[in-house]
Amino acid sequence: MSDSVEAKEPVAKPAWGNPVTRVLGSLAFALTVVLLLALACIAGTLIPQGSQVEVYLARPGGHQVLGVLSALGLTRVFYSWWFVGLLFALAASLMVCTGRRYQAIKRSTGAARLRVIGSFITHVSLLLVLAGGVVRVIWGQKGAIQFREGEAVSSAESSDGPMVLPFSLRLTKFELEYHKKTTGAKEAPVDMILVQWAEKNLIAHFPVELNVEHPVVPADAPAGASPAFRVKVLRYVADFALDGATGDVKSRSDVPNNPAVQVCVVGSGSTNTQWVFARFPDFGSSDSSIAAMPLKFRFMAVPPEEMGMRGGDIKAFKSTVEVIEKGAVVSTRTIAVNSPFSWGGYTFYQTSYNPDDLAWSALQVVRDPGIPIVYAGFVLMMTGLTLVFCVGPWLGDQRRRTGELS
Amino acid sequence: MTGFFNMTALFNISLAAYFCAMVCAVICLMTRRNLFDGVANGLIVAGVTIQTLYLGIRWVEAGRAPFSNMFESLVLFAWTVAVVYLLLRIRTKLPWLAAAAAALSALALAHASTFESAIRPLMPALQSNWLSFHVMTCFLGYGAFAISAVASAGYLIATRQASVAQVETRQTLETIVTQTISFGFLFLTLGILTGAVWANSAWGTYWSWDPKETWSLITWFIYAAFLHFNFMRGWRGRRAAWISIIGFISVLFTYYGVNFLLSGLHSYAKG
Repeated sequence: MSDSVEAKEPVAKPAWGNPVTRVLGSLAFALTVVLLLALACIAGTLIPQGSQVEVYLARPGGHQVLGVLSALGLTRVFYSWWFVGLLFALAASLMVCTGRRYQAIKRSTGAARLRVIGSFITHVSLLLVLAGGVVRVIWGQKGAIQFREGEAVSSAESSDGPMVLPFSLRLTKFELEYHKKTTGAKEAPVDMILVQWAEKNLIAHFPVELNVEHPVVPADAPAGASPAFRVKVLRYVADFALDGATGDVKSRSDVPNNPAVQVCVVGSGSTNTQWVFARFPDFGSSDSSIAAMPLKFRFMAVPPEEMGMRGGDIKAFKSTVEVIEKGAVVSTRTIAVNSPFSWGGYTFYQTSYNPDDLAWSALQVVRDPGIPIVYAGFVLMMTGLTLVFCVGPWLGDQRRRTGELS
Repeated sequence: MTGFFNMTALFNISLAAYFCAMVCAVICLMTRRNLFDGVANGLIVAGVTIQTLYLGIRWVEAGRAPFSNMFESLVLFAWTVAVVYLLLRIRTKLPWLAAAAAALSALALAHASTFESAIRPLMPALQSNWLSFHVMTCFLGYGAFAISAVASAGYLIATRQASVAQVETRQTLETIVTQTISFGFLFLTLGILTGAVWANSAWGTYWSWDPKETWSLITWFIYAAFLHFNFMRGWRGRRAAWISIIGFISVLFTYYGVNFLLSGLHSYAKG
């Protein structure tokens, strides 16, 4: 940080006699436009934008307020004609100011010249960013894709109708990952029923909820087969005991000293019920009717994250897609948030998923030819500002010190 | 690493260092003894050093930049205010500025202590290398604007009654305001641009008129106006000081108000 900012910037007076350019190039005009833009931005953040009519009507004086807001374009400030007009006014002012700064470069010398060059570059960069935005609006495309595993799409939904892609995109796999709990308090374990096939493969799991039916597909069934079994929990007791007189099951207390669930299995032409004990997993295995069943049950308290259940923090959601051209798969990529995939001028972004249907995924597809222009503007903006605020003043300091020493 | 260092102790020691620095700077102002100014600055250096250690350890422990929620951003804000002050202190000696900077840092840390400090895993959108660049650059800007607002307030107080003895102080304050706003503007711009590039990578749009984005732009407009008035019209003095203070009010709303009053893409920042 230098203190060599005392002198006014040597900017040329407008060389044109045209009163329009004189007005556009004035500081007063530029700052008036900036002030109006700032006020519009404030309005755009304080007034709900693009909401349903009901949102506005729910407020005091809803109908009248909505009428006024709509008439002034205040329900869609950033897309209103007057806001776009202000942006064009800013661009016009920037163009004239840029021209003036270009002239000032020729007249300035030394460290001041660097600062004027920096100021010129900064103004050019702002024009580039605005130009990139215009290119996006005119030639850019944006659409949404929603598909399930195995499905292929060759167009996306957009506000202007279907956005046709020159290739197809097939979702081959959707994955949802959770953070492992390594810090902070662990989530309380959940009472779970684990369903095994022939005591080996875990084929299903679900939390203990009374009378909720869960379809179970055998491990050896082909993909897409309908569930052969339906399983539900009929009863839960915290402290299992048998009534000595009646032989009925009862709970000695509410303390889970011997928790057990009664499971009902419907399938293979029969209905079976059995008690499953958390502390005695092998109890009942000698019973011939239970031993004959291919489904085996375990009842235990499991931390949710170990079962990949919802409840933990989501780490990532990813879609693995195939690009298909002329019937052939030409590329396979995984798309995640912060990791988009570009193909044929289109970029795909992971946007959403359905927690109740983990085979479903939503992507956004964008085609924005303005991006290189905008990014060039970003680079030039930082270059210009660095010249104005760092290099120019530093050089000025050096020269001043050299002058003092000599 | 947290087993070796007591993170709560590091946090509390840095808070105490800033608080004691503020007390020493105030004593220096009252007694005009340079010893207290030296102690105050030494304590601010100690506070920054300990905070740097704290942030570094938290970064390693979390496996990512510790700038993702209200607690972490307030800690970073305290650090940037103190760092910007120390950069200024290399050239300028103003005990009351030390008192104000230390008070701001202590206040930010004290406020941070009211938020949940546990390290939480990041949501998918925040899992990006842009997180550290974007937040760090924005907060260096915020820290500089905070110092400029304090210097502007000091200027307004000092110039209520004009006197020859104050001329040097006034010029120093004018210089500080211009320097810190130039520094802050450079970093705020970098912060907005890195945020735009990140947003394009995460959501496919570099600008979506999200409240946080929009208020950053409003803040940018205000400081751009300040710099134009300053460089092209030679505006100094009370008018410039008022714009600086208005700019910082906008910074506070961008940082704090938007988090709690408006919802948008940055809604995670309130947690």
